[in-house]
Amino acid sequence: MRARVILLSAIVIALSPLGALTAPAAHAVNTPTMIAGGPASSSDAMPVQLDTEFYLPTTTPAPAILLAHGFGGSKDSVIEEAKALQARGYVVLAWSARGFGYSTGSISMNSPDREVVDVRKLVDYLSTRKEVVQDKKGDPRVGITGGSYGGAISLLAGAQDHRIDAIAADITWNNLEGALFPQSALGVSNPGPFKRVWTGTFFSIGSLGVSGKPTSGTFSPTSLLCGRFAPEWCTAYQASVAQSAPSAQISALMKAVSPATYASEILAPTLLMQGEADSLFPLSESTRTAAAIRKSHPATPLAMIWHGGGHDGGQDESTRLRTQVANWFDIYLERRVATFPTFQLTQSAAAISSQDSAPEARVQLGELLPIDMDFHTLNISTKTQVVLAPAGASPSAISALPGFGSALSLAGGLGAFLPGQSALFLSAPLTAQLPLIGSSHVKVRIASTTGDATLFFSLVIKSESGRVTQPNGLVSPVRLTGIPATGVEVEISLPAIVANATPGDRLALAVSTTDLGYTMPQDGRVYSITPTSPLAIATFTLKNAPSSTPLYIWPLIALGAFALSLLWVFMRRPRHPAVKDALKDAANDVVNDAVNDAEPSAPLVSVRNLNKEYSDGYKAVTDLSFTVERGQVVGLLGPNGAGKTTTLRMLMGLIFPTSGEIEISGVPVFPGSRALAGLGSFVEGPGFLPHLTGSENLDLYWRSTGRSEDPEIADALEISGLGTAVNKKVRTYSQGMRQRLAIAQAMLGKPELLVLDEPTNGLDPTQIKAMRSILKNYADSGRTVIVSSHLLSEVEQTCSHVVVMHRGLLIASGTIDEILNRNGKRAQHLEEIFMDLVGTDTEIGI
Amino acid sequence: MSYRATHTLPFRVELVRQIRRKRTLVAYLFIVALPLIVAGAVKFGPSGDGGGDRFGGGGLDLIGLATHSAANFTATMFYFATGFVLITVVAIFCGDTVASEASWSTLRYLLAAPVPRARLLRQKLLVGLTLSGGAILLLPIASYIIGGITFGFGGLQTPLGATFSQVVGIQRIAIMTAFLALSLLFCAGLAFLMSVTTDAPLGAVGAAVGIVIISNILNAISALGSLRNWLPTHYAYAWLDALATEIDWSSMIRGASYSLIAFVLCIGAATAKFARKDITS
Repeated sequence: MRARVILLSAIVIALSPLGALTAPAAHAVNTPTMIAGGPASSSDAMPVQLDTEFYLPTTTPAPAILLAHGFGGSKDSVIEEAKALQARGYVVLAWSARGFGYSTGSISMNSPDREVVDVRKLVDYLSTRKEVVQDKKGDPRVGITGGSYGGAISLLAGAQDHRIDAIAADITWNNLEGALFPQSALGVSNPGPFKRVWTGTFFSIGSLGVSGKPTSGTFSPTSLLCGRFAPEWCTAYQASVAQSAPSAQISALMKAVSPATYASEILAPTLLMQGEADSLFPLSESTRTAAAIRKSHPATPLAMIWHGGGHDGGQDESTRLRTQVANWFDIYLERRVATFPTFQLTQSAAAISSQDSAPEARVQLGELLPIDMDFHTLNISTKTQVVLAPAGASPSAISALPGFGSALSLAGGLGAFLPGQSALFLSAPLTAQLPLIGSSHVKVRIASTTGDATLFFSLVIKSESGRVTQPNGLVSPVRLTGIPATGVEVEISLPAIVANATPGDRLALAVSTTDLGYTMPQDGRVYSITPTSPLAIATFTLKNAPSSTPLYIWPLIALGAFALSLLWVFMRRPRHPAVKDALKDAANDVVNDAVNDAEPSAPLVSVRNLNKEYSDGYKAVTDLSFTVERGQVVGLLGPNGAGKTTTLRMLMGLIFPTSGEIEISGVPVFPGSRALAGLGSFVEGPGFLPHLTGSENLDLYWRSTGRSEDPEIADALEISGLGTAVNKKVRTYSQGMRQRLAIAQAMLGKPELLVLDEPTNGLDPTQIKAMRSILKNYADSGRTVIVSSHLLSEVEQTCSHVVVMHRGLLIASGTIDEILNRNGKRAQHLEEIFMDLVGTDTEIGI
Repeated sequence: MSYRATHTLPFRVELVRQIRRKRTLVAYLFIVALPLIVAGAVKFGPSGDGGGDRFGGGGLDLIGLATHSAANFTATMFYFATGFVLITVVAIFCGDTVASEASWSTLRYLLAAPVPRARLLRQKLLVGLTLSGGAILLLPIASYIIGGITFGFGGLQTPLGATFSQVVGIQRIAIMTAFLALSLLFCAGLAFLMSVTTDAPLGAVGAAVGIVIISNILNAISALGSLRNWLPTHYAYAWLDALATEIDWSSMIRGASYSLIAFVLCIGAATAKFARKDITS
């Protein structure tokens, strides 16, 4: 109802002199307008009124595109296409063809003096619009596109009105009679069997109005029979159905609306698209049009797309096709420099989808048009087979259903080949992959009990598992008359298909005597069929659509990324003068002998002006300097947060000092420094692999250190005092056991310097006592121990020297005696001095 | 006493340290359990009439052909494992390796041994990749044996209609395995970077698996269109191309290169980061 109101107001606007004023200006998106077309009929010069929609892009003037709809549609069924082209910057004029939608007039199947004249009028209209680029006065820059019925008008109008600058036609006919009465026997002049189901579907759509009801207001028999068809088409159709053969009158009508008749006049660049799933207008229609254009005007730019769709549905590639059509117009209307593939083909089972692991389509490209195919010879069985055509043509095979496609894929393959009514002439199994592209050929001898024959040929694939595939349910009908008793030899053009035969498959020529989609003889008969030639399998050289970048780029980028990473690692490496030597040593696999490298005069540990400031500004260590000589047991004292552990971690090369230096035996400390090879450490608790035993842990740790001397693991295990527990998993150990094992690990290989952080934590008094003597003995052998602790009495009893820290600063250092005598009078215990030094300020920093 | 930087943390030592872990065993058992469970379900499950005749839709897809032969079963296992199982296993082997040392406090003792930092990462990465490679290799081997015992050692039938001989079938599985190993490098590198970044082993593994899964989810959103071509996991299933009679290598080359690029950048970042990191664990 609302549509009608809009329509009425549109008519009012278009007809009133105010229309030009009230019509939206430059930036209007789309405007419905009634435009006068050609005369209604030969006897009625009154122009039909075409219901159009005018789409404007954001920038004008722009080239225009005439957008035609399919049979049974209207300007409203191409809204999406119109908007896509509008978004690409084109002025789009969509119209309802005469007899469709709200356009007046009757359907004349794109007749040259009716629908084609309508298009001329639309081009005239575009030549008056300032939003459209004009090549000359009265000659706008315009392309035309449409599918099926709209594809035919695109080709027909493009041929007959040379103001049209580019054509893109989809799933349309080349020769309407050839499509509706297909004859696949080459060189036979009589028409083939009538494609009755498809034609009936076609006709009934045309005889119904937009709302699905006959449009006529008066219930006259003619209007019910003919609907919106022009009377001559209607009567011709009725006669042809009755005769199952085209009348002379309808032959003439169909010739006048076939691009085959006008193809030699097509001068505009033409993009021909055809669907692989199309039993109405098969792929061969596009090949014929292309061949005719190429023959008469070899210089006309021509491209073809065979896509997965078509009148039978198939695969929806509308988005891709829309883009391709726009690209085509960009080149020939916008005059943009770009390449357009000569031939694009969708191979339906060329890859496997990652979404569901099912076969999926891939687009392949060809450098040539599929006009001259390559043929691959394949021997098939030449044994004569006898097949029956039953009386009444029932039961009947079903190859494809209008709008649904291959019956094999629908009905599990039962309907396409009925027993007794079909024959397969098989090849040997293939040894290599064979793409089947286009129309294959074969010669057969046919004999019939009635002197005439109606047969349906196809090229099928039989897999190793016995599954028979009839690509897209396409058949090549043949109708022969006057066959002598000895039979007749004919060459059959098999359906144009796109399929892929893989090794192990057999190809076969299939013959069926019935097909529900066609008119068949009603009397029973028997045929004998003998192939008299090998199959000439049509194939074509294609390559997969290339990716936007050449493939070798990717490994090169990977190489580049590798170089980038190396550079990054190099730039980000820690800078330390000594690191370079160490790297060189490592590269040359130098055995570093710490004793030989050491400067004997240098103190064992030398810490100079050491600072550590964390990124949050917290200063853990400030300007710390001290030295440790060989044979000393040094206690590192300080309350929690004094910076003891941070200092030890810097000594171990775990933390980078902000500034300052640490040397062991004169060798600088940094991560991986060989100075660390002479250092055994236990800091902030033990670290073991919980899934391994104590002894395995020590063994694997030692083998990780890269040191070659005897680790004396037995001694170390004795120090740990774990007894048989060393063969239990560390996971089962108590805290004290882990602690003792960790100290044992630190002593592995008797390092020059032993660093222990709170070693007595978690030990009982007996163990603490034992630990004390262990440390004393260790130092007595000329080695050095640094112990950090907060237990002052413990340090007092164990250590020879003390370093006291507080809040990251060094407060005091020296022998125990020096510290005890610090204030001039001797203190009894370290605790007194410590409290004196640190005060009651035990606020914890970390 | 003498010390050689190149002798620190030898490959065999690190391999023993990792291989003795329960998670290594569990991951490998998991890999073997997957084909075992699927084969058992098909063979003895309620809908498998003893003969294990097809499961799923029984259609022409890869899964529908799984029961055709050992080779088909193996390809189907790849299909099942690509999205999650292999990612998780690789993320565990490469993501937990440094972070778990930090969490056990063993990292500081290794570094103070001293194992040079770059060498520690190299050895850990080599062992992580070795264990990952072992898992990737174990999946087809276990699947082939289990599939062969259950469904026979026949040729490989593809959803595209081709049937390959046993030898060609094994060659194709080898190609798929090689591609999978390369395409999982992205996950390995990412997990390794996470491992260096955090001290929580589970966090490192989880973050890597999470990022890979998010990439997979984005890849499934068709509205993103061709933007998805740039996701590092976009070509994760490109090994399916090895099922075509004539292999189209383009996706596999792109996918493997993407993965390699991401891997190299991740490892570079991990090394650069670790070289300057204060070890506080």
